[in-house]
Amino acid sequence: MNAAGPPRNSTGVPENATRPLQAGPDLPVAEHSRPSAIHVSHFVHALRRAGLDLRLLLMVVLLVGMGVAFHVLSGGVFLSPENLYNIAQQTAVVGIVATVMVLVIVARHIDLSVGSVMGFVGVLIAFLMYTSGWPWFAACLAGLLVAILVSMYQGTLTSLLGVPSFVVTLGGLMSFRGAAFLVADGKTQPVNDEFFQRLGGGYDGSIGVAGTWTLTALVIAGLFVRMAQRRRSRSRHDMQNEPLWIDVAVTALPCVVLLAFAWAMNSYQITSKTEPQGIPIPVLIWASVAAVLSFLVHRTRFGRYVFAMGGNPDAAELVGIPVKRVTLQLFVLLAVLVTIAAIVSIARLNAGTNSLGTGMELYVIAAAVIGGTALAGGTGSILGSALGALIMQSLDSGMLLLDVSIGKRMVIIGQVLIVAVVFDVLYRRRFGER
Amino acid sequence: MSTVATSEPLVELRDIRKAFGGIHAVDGVSVNLYCGEVVAVLGHNGAGKSTLMKILAGAYPIDSGETHVAGQHVQIRTPADAQSLGIETIYQTLALADNLDSVANLFLGREKLTPWRTLDDHFMEGQARKVFRRLNKNFTNIRVPVRRLSGGQRQIVAISRALYFNARILIMDEPMAALGPEEARMVGDLIRQLKADGVGIFLITHDMPDVFNLSDRLAVMKNGKLVGTYRTADVTEDEVLGMIIAGKRPEGRVEVLQLQKPDFGSGSSV
Repeated sequence: MNAAGPPRNSTGVPENATRPLQAGPDLPVAEHSRPSAIHVSHFVHALRRAGLDLRLLLMVVLLVGMGVAFHVLSGGVFLSPENLYNIAQQTAVVGIVATVMVLVIVARHIDLSVGSVMGFVGVLIAFLMYTSGWPWFAACLAGLLVAILVSMYQGTLTSLLGVPSFVVTLGGLMSFRGAAFLVADGKTQPVNDEFFQRLGGGYDGSIGVAGTWTLTALVIAGLFVRMAQRRRSRSRHDMQNEPLWIDVAVTALPCVVLLAFAWAMNSYQITSKTEPQGIPIPVLIWASVAAVLSFLVHRTRFGRYVFAMGGNPDAAELVGIPVKRVTLQLFVLLAVLVTIAAIVSIARLNAGTNSLGTGMELYVIAAAVIGGTALAGGTGSILGSALGALIMQSLDSGMLLLDVSIGKRMVIIGQVLIVAVVFDVLYRRRFGER
Repeated sequence: MSTVATSEPLVELRDIRKAFGGIHAVDGVSVNLYCGEVVAVLGHNGAGKSTLMKILAGAYPIDSGETHVAGQHVQIRTPADAQSLGIETIYQTLALADNLDSVANLFLGREKLTPWRTLDDHFMEGQARKVFRRLNKNFTNIRVPVRRLSGGQRQIVAISRALYFNARILIMDEPMAALGPEEARMVGDLIRQLKADGVGIFLITHDMPDVFNLSDRLAVMKNGKLVGTYRTADVTEDEVLGMIIAGKRPEGRVEVLQLQKPDFGSGSSV
């Protein structure tokens, strides 16, 4: 997920993680050669620069712990390849939107209308394909266009007129749910195109064993090539490189996770099929989206400006950042990802219904917040949102496996969100961050 | 003072007016600045000095009046306009994004891009190290968010912006306020050095020793109006305080609108 996550800059993560270790990065050059203790702190520092700070590490531990606990309680079902496959593809829709919600919240905005807009656009695309007989790509393009118009409308009110995005999108939450109903007069629109259905995962919606291993190998090779490039570039600019083993270890970590995931997906075989499934397509889409957004955050002006606007809106104006334009761009980016989520969603359900995405805004915002995005703006990470989405979904489907009733599940998930925010508040206080 | 050669002002603000709601924050103020000159801008809080400087920095549009930079009539509508004219500003609030590191803050709004339009982080980090080192050799933790830096280090980041982008005209809003004595002296030295390099500096400050140590002229504002502009050497501290507090122009002193001709132009703009 952090394929494009560039390690060295600090924008992406809530990076106050290890104040006690602060000496690590600040050591004078001569100290670099001192053994063991320094190396460990170097390693931790390198992890942090790679976007994995203490908080994210805790979340990984939480996720793994939760997985093991559910696995035991469910009598060995939870961590089975089949269940992991399902969780992965179920999380994708929320995960896709959560990546961009991170940026929206970082920039001190919010979008409560994502679920409704996704429903509206989803039904529209399904309607154009089923009732109007459009080919799927034309329908998707039209859906994207409408989503962008919606976003431009909400974004203009927010950025140019200064109406709080909370209010604008609260109105949108209502209006676009209504619009979703109006598109097809409330009638469910089936989606029959076989190719299109594969975008949603399911029976044929994965890339198979060979595809999975090839892709995994390519990504791992890419990560190491990037590491080498970075080292070369640093020495070209006369900058200190980390010891090679540290860089290798930090790069190897996501590779191990990736390999484990690929192996699990390649172990799941639907009984009526001759070959195991491999990585589901929605997860691929999610991973690509996260990679692109990580790239935007760390490598482009746009990402830097979004974080600067969240960190200090006045300063952003004073140094000449085109705040209004960047805000509008952010809303358009949101529209693109909501459309992608809508496509995956209707492909998965094989239909567009007017209730598509109901309540999704809460899951998306919760995923971002659990993933360490501060509602006050300025901090958040794409990787965190992915972990947050996985935690939410694992909790939900774990409890489902254990036959916890829907009422209790809602009560628990709501409280988990609060726990996450309480943790966030305490964590920031503990490490002296605002 | 006689070292100043150019006769044309670097900056000339003519009859600038700016109101917020019904309040005239800046009311018909004219002030100028020459190459290699430090003009102290003085006044109570709310006298309009920060507003006047923010107008020059492009943060506020003017209601009426004219701005000339190096003889050219210019319109400064945005901070980017000001920057492109060589006007750099060190705000009292420092205008730093606390969640970003020093390197990102130094280049904020003016990032160096690679040919592929991505951020050239290594270049920026290398440049940042050089400029920070020039101001403070011990400032090495440049990759942590600036919220974790000391007041002095944060100030260095803000000052470095002006330094790195080669300010021709520098606006400093209370640059010493957050500094310890050592760092304040460093900033004082820097101001003298920039002055020697021909940079024109507007210095907003409340500190009388700074005014008399650093400035060539001083302009005093009260209630949005200019009380007067004098050569620092011509006035006493008491007279300056009298202007700031009571708006009283010192008797028998000549207003000096132009540095090298002390006798020129009394009866000015008020």
